[in-house]
Amino acid sequence: MSIDWITVVAQIANFLVLVWLLRRFLYRPILDGIDAREAEIAERMQQAVRAKKQAQAQEDAYHDKVQALNVAQAQMTETIRKTAEEQRDFLLAEAQQALDQAHARWQAHMDEETRKYTAKLHHAGASALLALTRKALGDLADATLESQMAQHVVNQIKPMATNLRRAAGEAAEAVATSHTPLPASAQEELATALHDLFPEVSLRCETDKDQAPGLVLRIGGAQLAWTLDTYIDGLEALLAEKLSAGADHKEQSDDG
Amino acid sequence: MKLSPDQTVMFEAWGLAINATIFFTWVVMAVLTCVAILVTRNLRPDVPPNRWRTTLEVIVQAIQSQIEEIAGRPERHLLYFAGTLFLFVATSNLLLVIPGFEPPTASLSTTTALALSVLIAVPLFGITSRGLGGYLRIYIKPTVLMLPFNIISEFSRGISLAIRLYGNIMSGAVIAAILLSVAPFFFPVVMDVLGLLTGLIQAYIFAVLATVYISSATAPAAETPAPKTPAPDTPPNEKDSP
Repeated sequence: MSIDWITVVAQIANFLVLVWLLRRFLYRPILDGIDAREAEIAERMQQAVRAKKQAQAQEDAYHDKVQALNVAQAQMTETIRKTAEEQRDFLLAEAQQALDQAHARWQAHMDEETRKYTAKLHHAGASALLALTRKALGDLADATLESQMAQHVVNQIKPMATNLRRAAGEAAEAVATSHTPLPASAQEELATALHDLFPEVSLRCETDKDQAPGLVLRIGGAQLAWTLDTYIDGLEALLAEKLSAGADHKEQSDDG
Repeated sequence: MKLSPDQTVMFEAWGLAINATIFFTWVVMAVLTCVAILVTRNLRPDVPPNRWRTTLEVIVQAIQSQIEEIAGRPERHLLYFAGTLFLFVATSNLLLVIPGFEPPTASLSTTTALALSVLIAVPLFGITSRGLGGYLRIYIKPTVLMLPFNIISEFSRGISLAIRLYGNIMSGAVIAAILLSVAPFFFPVVMDVLGLLTGLIQAYIFAVLATVYISSATAPAAETPAPKTPAPDTPPNEKDSP
């Protein structure tokens, strides 16, 4: 066992050379490769983190969009609902208006029909009353209706002559209007009575088919009327009362 | 019976006798360098690592982590030195299985050379780390009276390193030679297997002791200025140097 110092020096040199060689061809490439790979892995990790953040941001944006869409959908639904309600209200109002108009037309038609019926009833009632009265007077008293009316007018004028004269003013003519022509005797009787009360006033007799049966006397601004209108109105009231009572009785029967 | 490969002259060159120690050292150097070149020749980030490269990476990283564990910090220069020590001694001892190969570590000259290298490296690393004054102050700690003892301790380290490695490797070879004469077919195989294990352990011990000696001479981790851009995988330095 001995130490060869030349070999020792050579081995030290060999070892230093080996250190340099391994540093050049082993450690540096390996460590640099590891560092590069670690850096690449770190970069990939950062990329993954960035991609994850980006995906998260996109997911958030997507959720925001979905939420915005839901809000927009809710708003649209609300708008549509309101529009539908407004449209419904408008249509209902329009239908109500059309119904009201139809009802008004129907009511006007009914009123017109009622008026026509009333007029017809009025005319028929008047004719019937007149015919009955005339027949009753002829059969029972052998008198005509017109002459009795003229007599009645004369009788009525006398108590109110003063007022009538004041109302007549300075009229020179009196006009007697009747539904049918007055008989000559009646005209003469009426003219005589008027002449006694108003000597300066002459009488003129006229007929008016639109006038109710009876006699209307006009002197200047004064007018005296004795017609069947009052009786016809009473007859209409009686008929209307009877009709209304009949309708109420029918409604009660229907409800019962 | 030859106790040292120094006595075997392989050939002569430039008037110098190249003995087996130097020759097989060159063989080991050639093997290590060629393997390193072959494995790392196509080393690019875009090329996936193959099994050889992965093996070398595992070895280098294991050495680096061991040094970091002992020194308390990653030290590339220490890796170059101690890693080369380990690889050289381990490869020399592992190549023992090849018939005709004589491990250079069986030569006291080689182990002495390696011990001297460590002996020289300790002050160099210490001066580089602490500065000349800082390194020399180690010898008078804790008091000036300890100066001669510290110097003796420093030299005894190198001597013990050399003798330990040489003794282990050479004893393995000597025992194998003795047993070969007693039971030529059985014991040599067992001793070779045992020699491989012993060789690897010795390589590890030699490199670890060198690392410990150098680390004790260099500044502790807390005194070392922190690197400007630490590696992302660098663990925090929690341990003090031994």
